[in-house]
Amino acid sequence: MKTGSRAGIKKDGIFGTGIIKGLRVTLGHFIGTYLDDLRWFGKRYYNDEALRARQGADACGVFTVQYPEERLPVPEEFRFIPFLVYEEDEDGNQTLKCTACGICAKVCPPQCIWIVRERDEKTGRPRPNPVEFGIDIDICMNCGLCAEYCPFDSIKMDHAYELAAFDRFTEHIYDLKKLSKPTSYYEQIRPTEAAAEVAAKAAKKARKRAR
Amino acid sequence: MVVALEGETIVDLKPVMGYLHRNHEKIGERNTYIMNMPFTDRLDYLTSMGNNFGYALAVEKLMGIKPTERAEYIRVIMAELTRIISHLFAIGAFLNDLGAFFTPMLYALRERELILDVFESVSGSRMMCNYFRFGGVVRDIPAATMTLIHALVFERLPKQIDDLDTYLTKNEIVRSRSIGVGVLSAEDALAYSAAGPVLRASGIPYDVRRADPYSIYDRFDFDIPTARNGDSYDRYIVRLEEIRQSIRILQQALRDIPAGEVMAVRPQYQPKVPAGEAYGRVENPKGELGYYLVSDGSPHPWRYHVRAPSFINLTSLSKISIGHKIADVVVILGSLDIVLGEVDR
Repeated sequence: MKTGSRAGIKKDGIFGTGIIKGLRVTLGHFIGTYLDDLRWFGKRYYNDEALRARQGADACGVFTVQYPEERLPVPEEFRFIPFLVYEEDEDGNQTLKCTACGICAKVCPPQCIWIVRERDEKTGRPRPNPVEFGIDIDICMNCGLCAEYCPFDSIKMDHAYELAAFDRFTEHIYDLKKLSKPTSYYEQIRPTEAAAEVAAKAAKKARKRAR
Repeated sequence: MVVALEGETIVDLKPVMGYLHRNHEKIGERNTYIMNMPFTDRLDYLTSMGNNFGYALAVEKLMGIKPTERAEYIRVIMAELTRIISHLFAIGAFLNDLGAFFTPMLYALRERELILDVFESVSGSRMMCNYFRFGGVVRDIPAATMTLIHALVFERLPKQIDDLDTYLTKNEIVRSRSIGVGVLSAEDALAYSAAGPVLRASGIPYDVRRADPYSIYDRFDFDIPTARNGDSYDRYIVRLEEIRQSIRILQQALRDIPAGEVMAVRPQYQPKVPAGEAYGRVENPKGELGYYLVSDGSPHPWRYHVRAPSFINLTSLSKISIGHKIADVVVILGSLDIVLGEVDR
């Protein structure tokens, strides 16, 4: 059998121009890093504007992000671990939007959501409120289906992604308290989506009134 | 893999599989139809958009629905971007296996990073996209992302691919290490039912996008690159050329994309899927990816099977490695471009 090395050498000889031409590309990258450094002149790092340019479509030079000091901004659609939205009135009363209908638990692919619905003490009838809501975030696969199919816009995907902890049983099983976050936080991380929901709600109301 | 040697020459080789087996198909029968979508991301985790595509096609065949026009274009754009990142990764990893330690890999990965930014801003995740739904896609491409895609496709990527080409293609070390190494003849490629760049490098111009045009691939003008010798170098060349063809498709798709809705039906968390069977197949970067679904009308598939191209391409490894030196196996394995998430499922 013809071995690889012999065939290759026969074809173009080992001291060909291919390597030199290739190394020119490497040299271009090498010089490019210094040119880009000069362009920003000491402001290349720890600077939001520079970070955007360094990671954009015209990126040149060193592509690395100095992670703990610099953080890449996450896009609005970024999804990581669900949370529950609550509304707060002037008196500080918090009401969860969640009605414990359980669609999120049904659609969850790895089945990591547990919900217990509130029951009326006298009649035993279910009430639209969760008494327990648990998510095991080590099982959650961050697919976002729960947020997508929630009919009450009450479960949303979070943006916080630094969740490492020492003990998974006490810190990585989120209960109702850990999951609840205010509407203001939701509007802050997902402004377009929140605005679209408000607009859809207003349109629905207007339609009802017209009828 | 288990290799039997005589000196440094390989006399026998057996890939040992199953270390990453995670019951994908059986879990698929427990899951409802929509719940399988994020699981398909985890097959070949470098090409999650392509995996979504095949599964969505299979279920849409069962349900008898068609995505909207804009959704079709978005799907093609995403699938072709996926092909570019997968091939970039394949070329980078192949050069790593050749011993060009990390420089070419990182040049390739930088472009991949930029495309992943696109995926992140449309789907919310860089790799586990979970973006396709039955009848469309989750959401429209935001305007800012569209500008980024335009900048990448029309300006940056063609230039960077040419750079990669001058950097590697004529390099004597790359050529001498890979020409004539791991030759898979056309007959063998067919006998092993290899697919994708591995098959096309052996000289058979078979591409599902052309052979059985799905979605809107019949509207685009593109070539099916092939090579003649079927060695590791040819597989590299075919991948590089396929990136160029993908850019061509992307340019046409971006030119023609219409405005409109991205979902054809009302999104449902448990869509009604009538009884029957369907096979959805796409040309994934690694080869022909097929999903076979049997439905009995219940919310779960009765049978769910995946034809994984990496797995089938890997079976030819033994045949093409015998007779080569042990150091060449790394190169051959790199040129086959397998992803173990898909090999074992």
